[in-house]
Amino acid sequence: MRKRGLMLTVAMMLLLAALAGCGSNNANDPANDAANGNTAAPANEPANKPANEPAAADPATTKLDPVTLKIVLPGDRPADMDKVIQEAEKRMADTINVKLDVVFVPFSDLAQKTQVMLASGENVDLIFDAPWLHIDQMISAGYYEPLDDLLAQYGQDAVKVRSQQMFDANKFQGKIYALPLGNNHLAGRTYLVRKDIREKLGVPPIKTYEDLINFAYKVKENEKDVIPLMAYGQSSSKDIAWGAFRAFMEYDPQYLRTDALGQSLVLYYKNNDGKVYNLFDEMEPTIWSWIEDARKLYTDGLIHPDILAIKDVESVINSGKVAVAVSNEFGVPSSTQTALAQNVPGAELEAVTFIQMEKGKNITNFKQANFQAIPKVSKNKERAMMFLNWAAQKDNYDLLAYGIEGTNYEKIGDDQYKQIGTGYSYFPYGWIWNPTLDRLNAGYDEETIKHYQFNKAADNLTASVLTGFSFDPTPVTNELSLYNATEDKYYNALFDGVVDPDETWAKFKKEAEGNAKKIQVELQKQIDAFLAAKK
Amino acid sequence: MSMIREIAKNKYLYALALPGLLFLIVFAYVPMAGHLIAFKQYRLADGIWGSKWVGFDNFKFFFMSSDWYKVTFNTIFLNGLFIVCGLGLALLLAIFLNEIRSMLFKKIAQSFVFMPYFISWLVVSMMVFAFLNTTEGILNRTLIANGLDGQNWYLKPGIWPAILTIIYVWKFAGYYSIIFLAAITGISGDYYESARIDGATRFQQIVHITIPLIRNVLIVLALLGIGRIFYGDFGMIYGIVGDTAPLYPTTDVIDTYSYRALRQLGDFSKSSAVIMYQSVMGLVTIMIFNAIARKIDKDSSLF
Repeated sequence: MRKRGLMLTVAMMLLLAALAGCGSNNANDPANDAANGNTAAPANEPANKPANEPAAADPATTKLDPVTLKIVLPGDRPADMDKVIQEAEKRMADTINVKLDVVFVPFSDLAQKTQVMLASGENVDLIFDAPWLHIDQMISAGYYEPLDDLLAQYGQDAVKVRSQQMFDANKFQGKIYALPLGNNHLAGRTYLVRKDIREKLGVPPIKTYEDLINFAYKVKENEKDVIPLMAYGQSSSKDIAWGAFRAFMEYDPQYLRTDALGQSLVLYYKNNDGKVYNLFDEMEPTIWSWIEDARKLYTDGLIHPDILAIKDVESVINSGKVAVAVSNEFGVPSSTQTALAQNVPGAELEAVTFIQMEKGKNITNFKQANFQAIPKVSKNKERAMMFLNWAAQKDNYDLLAYGIEGTNYEKIGDDQYKQIGTGYSYFPYGWIWNPTLDRLNAGYDEETIKHYQFNKAADNLTASVLTGFSFDPTPVTNELSLYNATEDKYYNALFDGVVDPDETWAKFKKEAEGNAKKIQVELQKQIDAFLAAKK
Repeated sequence: MSMIREIAKNKYLYALALPGLLFLIVFAYVPMAGHLIAFKQYRLADGIWGSKWVGFDNFKFFFMSSDWYKVTFNTIFLNGLFIVCGLGLALLLAIFLNEIRSMLFKKIAQSFVFMPYFISWLVVSMMVFAFLNTTEGILNRTLIANGLDGQNWYLKPGIWPAILTIIYVWKFAGYYSIIFLAAITGISGDYYESARIDGATRFQQIVHITIPLIRNVLIVLALLGIGRIFYGDFGMIYGIVGDTAPLYPTTDVIDTYSYRALRQLGDFSKSSAVIMYQSVMGLVTIMIFNAIARKIDKDSSLF
């Protein structure tokens, strides 16, 4: 009898939970739609708030037992982190009552460390992951909890601040396995150019790639101690090798990286036609011209001779010894600007990008580069979601993203900020980033701010036919691991121009062609199935 | 029966060994069961027992590649160099240190050669880069100052086994020399005294007394090194070479190769398969070399 009673209670609780889930879902829909229609306008927020209140009331008004969340983030711990945590805990004490144990893992150890944490079942409640790290593999290995129900029940605000495209496009195997983090819908790419050197040499502002190269040759002639061009050469950063980087600023057609090989261009998409192209089958002349161009620049002594051996490219840029470097965001990162100015008085970087700002010109699958996931082993999944939700409210977001007002940053209007000092470095991309609440660095130049604002609106971009597709690597893991090991030997050396293109390509092709083909076939198979299901 | 009696008789002595034994059981024997996942498609969600058996599937990625014998060769070759040069120089160092008569100088010299042991590989890596880089490296600057051409050392895989060996010796020779020095100190002064009375020179004393008497220490250290000959020193090689592709032909060892192949996949079964391969090969080599050692000198073999 007793057992049955227990069963009944459990069943009742499940039913209630399900009802609550539905209820909040319904309450949330209008808010969601409103947010979609107008992602860039934080102004509509207060209007939505009341509609949300009943659903959010449950966790928000009753004081819960204290729980410590262990959160794993990329990067280095800012000096003022503890002060921010203290303030955040104070604000949460009466509602969700969460204590924060924030663990930072340096980027260089990120892949390995987070993987070991997950595999050993360490008790982590929120963890950073990304497609460029190993999110697909971790999901297919079953490490992460699907978030759909948790989001519906506890994450109304976290949902509201992101566009519907963002959620639709960042599902894995049909489910939301991690909260997408992004402040716009197109990843920025820029060349960082030493403005002081450009002006000293009397070169007008750079508008095209040819201008950039001409400037580099001028630097080579006139500035003996400065190396004109710098990109990345370690085989773990393939997208930012000099030649490969140009793919981000090429139009008609745009070459897009595939879902199977991540950063590599050996397999690629173009023309938004749902086909996977393979450079081993047929060399694409444009891509080959990038490799040859890089080779010329390297042999002419423009690209840093040790490009393949340098592990810490940022410090080389900061030291002021290079004139042009590639960078993975719009605008000059303020940390780089400050560090450079400290090392070389009078030095200044400017951001040059050839990414076009024309409606529909850029194709995107709305995939975000950063995610926050809740591991299966977490004992506080609900509370973790409540925290993410809490962080999606304007004041709280400001605190976690920019630090303490007046000490670490200064608000400028509703959507810009100015950093004060270096006590709290910028890392919202690691845990809470979203396009609605994000403030832009007021130190950016006009052009950069335009780029950010333009790409905040999902409608300014053309949706890829593969939006929402994700690749399941399980059938080809052997081929992928063999291919990766081979590619690492040649890819960056080729795209940074360090080795002879023809000879190296022939070697690369001979060793990698078979595995690349198998991956291509599997990827195409999954894409075809995805497209068929969409129709 | 006699074993139980032996244990009962010396129970306090055996009790002393207990913590060490426990340590070995927990950290060396229990994890051996982990080799199981080399034959499974391990998924955290399913657990070790719930995961599917896949036979030798996980070994495929390694042995299907055209590089597996190359990286295996590199591993053995580099470790061989490390063992021979490392121990050889450590032995020389110990003998030299032992011959120094001024205590103060001896202590200073000893600390000086021991110091590199405490420097982390990350720092070593930066030092190597500062020394060898093309544009401002100390080596290239010296070459250019002497009228020679600077070289791009990071594009010359051929010299890297030598560079790595030098680094290894620099870092570990001092450490091993302490072990040898301890063994030398244990040699009774009577031998040297009687040799001196018979008119032996310093050099003769070294060759005929010191070296033969510490031979078993040398053999044991060599055997221990050989037991791990299939394990590349990941911290060292990845720390110094990193992802510098042109150096792979001579510096890529089993550990770095599998790290690169698997870092995006996060596949525990496949990495276990590689470790299994290393362990089995290591076991085989140590059996062979132990047998050889036993032939040469019965007392200095490991088992």
